[in-house]
Amino acid sequence: MKVQTRIRRWPWVAIVLSLAVAFALSMISPKDDVQGELVRIMYLHVPAAWLAYVAFFITFVSSIAYLLTKNLRWDRIAAASAEIGVFFTGLTLVLGMIWGKSTWGVPWTWDARLTLTAIMFFVYLGYLALRRTTDDPIARASRAAVLGVLGAVQIPLVHFSVVWWRTLHQPPSIIRPDGPAIQEPLMIVTLVVGVVVFTVIYGALVVKRIELMHLEEQLAEIERSADRPVAGEAVVVPELGKKP
Amino acid sequence: MTTGFWHQVRAVAHRDLLRERRSGDVLWVTIPFGALALLLVPLAVGTDAKLLREIGPGMYWVIVMLFGVLVAVGKASKETLPQQDASSLLGLDPAAGYVGRTASSLILLLIFEAVVGAVAVGLYNIDILAPGWLALTLLVVAMGLSLLGTLTASIVNSTSAGTALVPLLVAPLSVPLLLGATQAYEGIRLGHGILSWVLLMIAVVLIVAMIGVLTARPMQES
Repeated sequence: MKVQTRIRRWPWVAIVLSLAVAFALSMISPKDDVQGELVRIMYLHVPAAWLAYVAFFITFVSSIAYLLTKNLRWDRIAAASAEIGVFFTGLTLVLGMIWGKSTWGVPWTWDARLTLTAIMFFVYLGYLALRRTTDDPIARASRAAVLGVLGAVQIPLVHFSVVWWRTLHQPPSIIRPDGPAIQEPLMIVTLVVGVVVFTVIYGALVVKRIELMHLEEQLAEIERSADRPVAGEAVVVPELGKKP
Repeated sequence: MTTGFWHQVRAVAHRDLLRERRSGDVLWVTIPFGALALLLVPLAVGTDAKLLREIGPGMYWVIVMLFGVLVAVGKASKETLPQQDASSLLGLDPAAGYVGRTASSLILLLIFEAVVGAVAVGLYNIDILAPGWLALTLLVVAMGLSLLGTLTASIVNSTSAGTALVPLLVAPLSVPLLLGATQAYEGIRLGHGILSWVLLMIAVVLIVAMIGVLTARPMQES
């Protein structure tokens, strides 16, 4: 097997291996005294939410980097990260609703964290919609970068909403000034491993998405060049006996 | 046109206000539409006077957010690409253009807030509590919306979606303003301090203003 092929496959190998580890841990982890088996949703919900934050933060940093350097590589990173962030924000919301239906009795409450997370989802959905409205890569990158910076205002608001407002959603469980709220060590390990695994998945997806963007740009360039007139096409060969 | 920054700001704001005086888009379309929306709400939720008095302030802020975006975007999105090129060739500082468009939107938004506010007070029998704080809240919300609307309009200008995309972009981004405004009124009503909410809105205004001014040149170049 060529080295290049091996390198291309590493994201998929990493995804499969890390998912297998996380799944095994989430299955052997004990059930919660209050939530019972339902606690296992948390091993997906918390890492998905973490990944959404990471993804949008990377979009923010890459957008600033693009505005400063005008290097399209940063725009690709920002776009890839936003796409993945939107997917994982959606996943966070869906998993939260499944958990909420069983725990609170309703899938949705007008809780600050839930509402602001849904709003953050729409902010970045708008970001992706904006990217689809411009064909010119430079114009698209500049416009998206400004929105990428502006959208990041929501991230601290969502994260600290459980601290600033009295909400139904529980405050941070692990990173707290007075130590983790979870007492069972295996649960903490499972959550931390889940977060690491999702971060690996994020890295792998970003790499693959950027590769795909390269290919899309090449295809667009080929399509554009196919429509261009060939050099000298406008020159007409004069024919004898006919006026030009 | 290579004059001082604030002179350019005044010139752009004056141009936009003149355009509004000629078209009357805000005064004759958006303001009546906002007032009509306030009239329609009781038909949907019921005409119980106590309920309407309770939800009135919240409804007012929602109308201000949704229709205020139209005010801010309507002015900023009317600039065509040749006009932008002409302004650029004349030496207009992109940041001055942004501040000028924001200033004209701010004036129109304050008019919108005042007229629709009077309608809301009349229809919903809302109490005007702590007028000083209320005026400050109205000013900060108008500043935030005009800054956000102008920035977003410049982002979507000359894209294939045009202004159709603006509400999707501005509505979620204006949530901190909506939260701040509604919670500030609630705080006044319950006799709680509202300084933290006003500070939240001011922080949003400053962040958006900074992003708008700093990205005005790259936006013009794109």
